Amino acid sequence: MPKPLKLGAQAVAVAGLAGLFALLIWKITHRPRPVKVGAAAPAFDLQRLDGNGRLALASWNGHVRVVNFWATWCGPCKSESPALQRLWEQYRTRGVVFIGVDSTDVASDARRFVRKHGLTYPMVRDRDGSVGNLYDLTGVPETFVVDRHGRLVEHFAGPIDLRDNDRAFKRAVDRALQS
Amino acid sequence: MAACAAALLVLPLAGTAVASEAHPTLAELEGEVMCPICHTTLDQSNSAAAARIEAFIVRRIRAGDTKSEIKRELVDQFGPAILAEPPKHGFDLLAWLLPIVGILVGGVVLALAAWRWSRRREPELVLAAGGVALPRPLDPELERRLDEELRLFDE
Repeated sequence: MPKPLKLGAQAVAVAGLAGLFALLIWKITHRPRPVKVGAAAPAFDLQRLDGNGRLALASWNGHVRVVNFWATWCGPCKSESPALQRLWEQYRTRGVVFIGVDSTDVASDARRFVRKHGLTYPMVRDRDGSVGNLYDLTGVPETFVVDRHGRLVEHFAGPIDLRDNDRAFKRAVDRALQS
Repeated sequence: MAACAAALLVLPLAGTAVASEAHPTLAELEGEVMCPICHTTLDQSNSAAAARIEAFIVRRIRAGDTKSEIKRELVDQFGPAILAEPPKHGFDLLAWLLPIVGILVGGVVLALAAWRWSRRREPELVLAAGGVALPRPLDPELERRLDEELRLFDE
């Protein structure tokens, strides 16, 4: 092989390796950090489930927000829905906003679920689960309490239950209201 | 003649593809659609999320949708990552082109290496008087050193 051609091939190989290495570094440094209590809640701006525009977490800045991730194919999401609806009715008068995030679901199934369970708080669609990834979900349902300043106050993995973690949930919301 | 034979071979395949597009089955779509929770194709997943997507596909098949329409609806519901195959446009086109480019470049490199290797292995011959091919004579310095080594070896 002529020397210039050989040098060119070597340069291409080295450039390729450097490119792959840069991609690896970029992937490592841009990996989403796991959300922590006390840190800022990851922002989102999602399509409303009823199709009437979009809803951003930041649009309720100044309010305490309860963000609940759920899906129609999740059994515990069905069992927690009466508790969430009751808590929403209880806290909405105190300026707390509940936001349901329907994750990786068929929209018509999700709308039917909302009607069937009589859920009246705002619902959005995380169609590909990307917002769930920002919140480092391990499954559904998971619920996050966000204070007036956008900081995460508490995280509940698993269903909110009026018997098991009702007190812990109320303590977290009260803490957020005092912030 | 050859063209006719090729057409006879290709026609049944084209017919199958057209039938599959117009009347898709759940079984074939299960291998082409991902479960967004388990990150495997639907046929590899037993999750409730996969079952929900399968039920959606069955509803669309019963409604008479074509395969392309069902895939479009799935992308609309779940985003492009729901399809096992990357789209053939934009940045995702690279996923289709890079393997082909890699195979072509690898083939060229292998061909060059084989050509070079075969040239090295050919004995270098020179034509002697009378047209007889003889091995190329050694460099005088190399011949002197070789004779010396052989002499030392004999001693």
